[in-house]
Amino acid sequence: MTGIVQDIDWLLIGPPLALAITAVVVLLADAFAGPPRSRAQALVPAALTLTGVGVSAVLGALAMGGYRDEGTRSTFCVTGALEGPAPCSIAVDQLTLVFWAIVLLGVAVVALLETADVAEGRTPQGEWNFLLLATATGAMTIAASRDLVTLLVALEVVSLPAFAMVGLRRGDRRASEASVKFFLVSVVSTAVMLMGISLVYGATGSVFLEQIDMAISAGADVRSVAVTGALLTVVGLCFKVAAVPFHMWVPDTYVGAPIAVAAYLSVVSKAAGFVGLVLVLAYALPELSTAWSPVVGVMAALTMTVGNVLALWQQHAVRLLAWSSVAQAGYMLVPFGAVAGASREDMATVLSRSAGYLAVYAVVNLGAFAVAAVVGTRFPRQRLVDYRGLVREEPLAGWALAFALVALAGLPPGVIGLLAKVLVFSSAAGPATWLAVVMAVNVAIGLVYYARWLMELLRPAEVAGASVYDVPNGVGMAIGITFTAGVVFSFLPGLLLDPVLLGVGR
Amino acid sequence: MNAVLLNGLVALPAGFALLAALVSRRERAAVGVAVVGALATFAWSVWLVLRLGSAGGALGDPDRSVDVVWLEALDLHWRLGLDGISGALVLMSTLVFAAALFSLLRHGPDDAEGGPRRTGSLAVLLLVIEAGVLGSFLALDMVLFFVFFEVALIPMWFVISTWGDAHDAAARRRAATRFLVFTVTGSALMLVGFLLVRAEAGTFDIARVAASYTPSGPTALAASLLVALGLAVKTPLWPLHIWLPDAHSKAPTVGSVVLAAVLLKLGTYGFVRFWMPVTSPDWLLVPVVAALAVVGIVYGALACLAQADLKRLIAYSSVGHMGFVVLGAATFTLGGVQAAVFASVAHGLITGLLFFLAGAIKDRYGTTDLAELRLLYGKVPRMGGLFAFAAMASLGLPGLAGFWGEMLAIRAAVSPAAGLSETTYRWLAFIAALGVILASAYFLAVMRSMLQGPAVEATPSVDHVDVGAALPTDRVAAVRLGDRRPDVDAGEWVTWGPLAVLTVALGVAPGLLLTPVADAARAFLGGLG
Repeated sequence: MTGIVQDIDWLLIGPPLALAITAVVVLLADAFAGPPRSRAQALVPAALTLTGVGVSAVLGALAMGGYRDEGTRSTFCVTGALEGPAPCSIAVDQLTLVFWAIVLLGVAVVALLETADVAEGRTPQGEWNFLLLATATGAMTIAASRDLVTLLVALEVVSLPAFAMVGLRRGDRRASEASVKFFLVSVVSTAVMLMGISLVYGATGSVFLEQIDMAISAGADVRSVAVTGALLTVVGLCFKVAAVPFHMWVPDTYVGAPIAVAAYLSVVSKAAGFVGLVLVLAYALPELSTAWSPVVGVMAALTMTVGNVLALWQQHAVRLLAWSSVAQAGYMLVPFGAVAGASREDMATVLSRSAGYLAVYAVVNLGAFAVAAVVGTRFPRQRLVDYRGLVREEPLAGWALAFALVALAGLPPGVIGLLAKVLVFSSAAGPATWLAVVMAVNVAIGLVYYARWLMELLRPAEVAGASVYDVPNGVGMAIGITFTAGVVFSFLPGLLLDPVLLGVGR
Repeated sequence: MNAVLLNGLVALPAGFALLAALVSRRERAAVGVAVVGALATFAWSVWLVLRLGSAGGALGDPDRSVDVVWLEALDLHWRLGLDGISGALVLMSTLVFAAALFSLLRHGPDDAEGGPRRTGSLAVLLLVIEAGVLGSFLALDMVLFFVFFEVALIPMWFVISTWGDAHDAAARRRAATRFLVFTVTGSALMLVGFLLVRAEAGTFDIARVAASYTPSGPTALAASLLVALGLAVKTPLWPLHIWLPDAHSKAPTVGSVVLAAVLLKLGTYGFVRFWMPVTSPDWLLVPVVAALAVVGIVYGALACLAQADLKRLIAYSSVGHMGFVVLGAATFTLGGVQAAVFASVAHGLITGLLFFLAGAIKDRYGTTDLAELRLLYGKVPRMGGLFAFAAMASLGLPGLAGFWGEMLAIRAAVSPAAGLSETTYRWLAFIAALGVILASAYFLAVMRSMLQGPAVEATPSVDHVDVGAALPTDRVAAVRLGDRRPDVDAGEWVTWGPLAVLTVALGVAPGLLLTPVADAARAFLGGLG
């Protein structure tokens, strides 16, 4: 049997597949059930989504049992390769598992956040959850993809439903505008990335990451074409992670979109772009690190500086979070800027720190958005002053947000955020000390706006007892999950970071 | 057993902070719990220092330190230990915190927002700061030091911006934010420096670094520079001191006391513990740091001469004192380390006392404006006398604690370590000695104007003014000759007494502190001259 019937390792594609199947189930159930007649029924799609996430997580855990023995497990391989190991389109290793965990956590929290909109009834829940699961399928797939075409398709699967999610709320013109803006930027970035991929393919003769690496190691004769292709591919992915100068869509899109979607974009969608970067740069192009590492390093410096400086003036909570997420993307990119000419082992170690930062960021940033969703139920304008006295009025949400903010700023008691910063610093100190110094200054700038917000939280409310929140159960759960996770990881950082760093970094 | 003691010294204030936070709605109870916590911590620290002080062995020995893996992937360890250098600072800190929290029992500062006083929350924050400070003094892992260093920041920022100067909200917030931004920038740079040291020396364990690392090459220099930069912000070293006068003068009394007496010591302690081992005396960086320290001494004294506000004056005097500490460390001699630690402890006691007194004067007269304060000898004789005592100690009167640190620092600068230019250091010593004279000038000027002052016309005396009542806002009211206020009361004697007694004790018997510090420095840094 040569190349016609393949053995498919169902366990490996199980986790993304589970989400995809759930997506179809949600869509069909919604179509047959008709418009919800009660609030409980309106929550069914969200419940289905969470079930799907749970199944996917179980399958992922089973897959993890498999990887222990073999390191990497692959499927969808090209049989009958002429030389070397057979290249595969899908592979699961530690990196994949880490990203799967981040995506599943993100999807679960986002689904819980969206339940806040059920009462309002402006967002069709069935469609929304279908779209969420569809984009999550893409995010899961991208982490397992090992060829550029699968990677690109998965990235598009992440993006396309996201456009619709941004603009799905009925009668919201700002959301529609945000959606169009997001769409246009994303399409352009895809086009640029396609161009880059075709150049890389032209230079190396393969789309498989492994074979591209081999071709370049063997000394592809059109190195400059490969470099150009690599940089264009990076540009395409940088739109997704919202690195400067490809960040312009972020603030308007986050503010226009429902908060749950903004949370999704800031964590899951960013993670997808980020894993794409790791795959393309570290798996396919480690030989060209002297070319791309300085570029990404400069980009990281610009991203964090622009994000932090512009966040200083924001009075709108979500817009502030948008700029802060731009700045955080800059921190995540720092390790990429510090691997010029590094050996493969070093590169894996260094980039695992990016992944560690991303994991921490996912937990605390989702927490911040969850609390913003609560405050949004009473103050849709989301001014920072609307948060005044939150700690007294709604202690759980208030302290959770306070914790998330100090963790994002990287200060105790958000020890986990501080250690994440240490991770990134430690990757840059030495190979790119200038970048570490830029980052040190940025941490201080960032602190100013986080502290400003924190101050509002802890000040006494203007009218004590006036702002009583009706925290939707789902959102309460989301806050509880992220807050508890953040606190636990602050005491036992090894629980989160050791598997990520030791696993991915080998 | 020692491990329990070491962990306990951090856990105790943290635990009591949690306990006080739980009852923080009932203010008296919360402050009471916090005071018990601070006293327990003080007792605990005495026990710990006595126990570890009598035991032999090096700093990082397993039986006298804690070493638990904290984050394996980064090789971060929870390493705590104590020797004569940190022991001295730990004792001083726990004492000052106990005094500061005890003073809250009497009455806390008003909430500058005009809301309830929330003294309970203030006490909780002070205990959190104490946990962070003690952790920093005990930490033997560079990253752990950084983590604890940061613990104190956010609470201190709250203390300044919530309970600070009630008259000027914008200035208070600006002072708080500036404090935060400067310190965080500094500590982040310091972290980068530590990570570079790790890349060079292969460990975060400062005891091992001190024992086996010989810094050389550009990376090691960059590391040392970054660490020095970060600590220079905290200490502060001229010209990075600009956050200090505002922060110290706008903070509430307990905040100023803690800032000046304890938080600055994180910087000076860092210079001795974490900068000296990663620095080679051959580098030009070392005399530059020493020169900046001397500039700070002179600058601090000159700035003091120009101050019109008592709290700002005390704040600027700290810049000068910290200059002596850093000058001592930058000589890389045993005497220099002794001077640095001694001056740190003495400054903590004396400046803590001065800020307490400034706060008490402010409570009674509603101002710390030197133009309005006159004739305190006549109005509050005991307080005036105590202030004169503290000012004398601060300007370095022989026989009091302030003298030894400055004298030893200058002596160490006259004969610095081999590899350092003797001529340069002699000049620096000479200029630093001039700074001592200038310091005498400004403190004597203040004592003359504030305690004695020109006679103002007498008015009928107002006895027994309730401190809690409205304070005089009329500027003239404060300068009337017969405007008597309650003198030092029992609570204040209890708070300030230990600081004053120790100032005398250390002044008379400096060996109490110098001997253990010398032993510890020899064991820690090895071949010091």
